[in-house]
Amino acid sequence: MKSQKERSLMYRAVREFFDSRGYSEIFTPTLSADLIPEPTIQNFSTLFTSPFLPSRELYLIPSPEIFMKQVMAEEKTSVYQISQCFRNSEQLGSVHNPEFTMLEYYTMGFSDKDSIRLTRELIDAVLFDYSPSFLRKDFIVLSVNEAMKKWAGCDLDRLQDRQALLEKARKLGQHPDDDEAWDDIFNRIFITYVEPSLPEDRIVVLTDYPYQIDCLAKKQDGRPYRSRWELYIAGIEVANCYEEETSPAVTAEYYRKEHERTVRERQGSGNVIPAVSESFPSLSIPPSSGVAIGLDRLLMCLTGKKDIREVLLFPMQDMIRS
Amino acid sequence: MIKAGQIDKGTALLIKGQPFICIEREFVNPGKGSAFVRLKLKSPSTGQVLSETMKSQDNAEDITVEDRDIQYLYNDGTNFAFMNVETFDQIEVPMASYPDYQYFMKEGETYRATFWEDQVLDIIIPAKIVFTVAEAEEAVKGDTVQGATKYVTTETGLRVRVPIFIKQGEKIRVNTETKEYLERVNK
Repeated sequence: MKSQKERSLMYRAVREFFDSRGYSEIFTPTLSADLIPEPTIQNFSTLFTSPFLPSRELYLIPSPEIFMKQVMAEEKTSVYQISQCFRNSEQLGSVHNPEFTMLEYYTMGFSDKDSIRLTRELIDAVLFDYSPSFLRKDFIVLSVNEAMKKWAGCDLDRLQDRQALLEKARKLGQHPDDDEAWDDIFNRIFITYVEPSLPEDRIVVLTDYPYQIDCLAKKQDGRPYRSRWELYIAGIEVANCYEEETSPAVTAEYYRKEHERTVRERQGSGNVIPAVSESFPSLSIPPSSGVAIGLDRLLMCLTGKKDIREVLLFPMQDMIRS
Repeated sequence: MIKAGQIDKGTALLIKGQPFICIEREFVNPGKGSAFVRLKLKSPSTGQVLSETMKSQDNAEDITVEDRDIQYLYNDGTNFAFMNVETFDQIEVPMASYPDYQYFMKEGETYRATFWEDQVLDIIIPAKIVFTVAEAEEAVKGDTVQGATKYVTTETGLRVRVPIFIKQGEKIRVNTETKEYLERVNK
């Protein structure tokens, strides 16, 4: 029955893993009145209606981060959660379903590099006897720049200038627009040359993402990178980790810029423009590292499945078609 | 113009004035990045395959194509020669763009082709084709290691592994994608 038993065992192993390490499991809403601005994630919205109150747009969460960080700021404790998340887009396929299951865990006092070790232990704890044996091997850990040098011949240390990166992309045979932003040119090169070259017989962790890809991961002192990593299994992006930004001023600036960008890019397109909270940026987030793992994708990898539909009882693709 | 996100397998595009056919399309949404499509595009005139990455929202120049019937005449080792069955114009298509097609197409037969203006972008061959066995090896008795199979050569020169009971002059159906024997055809 489409890996239901395996899913149940995996959830149980996850809970045992974190409970035995003193994390608190929390249960936060799926509907939210506001979201963290993320221009590259399209959202689902719905309308709250009541005869007594003004109606109001609500959003299905693309990640539980918005609630989990509020709990962390308040309780100053390590937390984890398994929750349903929603990302709207045109992309349905072998590794995408608009509704998916996310495991997020935040560890007090951890750096992003500490989270690599923890995640290795977590994967060991959820492996089945019959899971592909390469999942037991050590992670290959390399920085994004090492990967870019190796597979795209791009040394990002020397390509910080947008024009220089644009010319490099064109030399490689890509066709970015003249005014394309640094992060888009980077992603174009990364997904054309690096992602398809990642070894598929080992778990790969790419660390130190360019700071130009704006997010709530800490920027490193004196280096053009953020303390953030992504984990790939068989070429599929399975997890994302930040060493969390703790400065309210930096978070407020991120909120302002990214909300503006969301409005600018979506106005008139019919896409949902989520409301943003005024109080979230001023939370006092403790020094910590958070990891988000796509559990449907992880389950695919643990059971050797090639299509996300093989681990979902009612894949969206089938619902939309019928 | 179409949005890159709408490009699909088989979509014909113009890139720097050259026509290309999309042979693979994959949506990629890098963590914290814009939505992209990763495309493999094939040039019908050279057979060259391009890896192109476009933002889903980028515009791409699509071209209008039409299907016409063409009759396969012969090949000279470099080009296939066809005739447009309506205009009787002769058309040359580089063999390098269509690997192994010389083994699938039969001289004098008509095939459906996709055209952009006067240029052939694609030649459509059936998924299964019936061939006549032109040469058959003698089966080696007692050789069961190969699962009791042997090689035969069809009238077009295609080498196919078949069960040992297939004889010269018989007809067999072959999967053109995998080049595998499917069944013996009795009529």
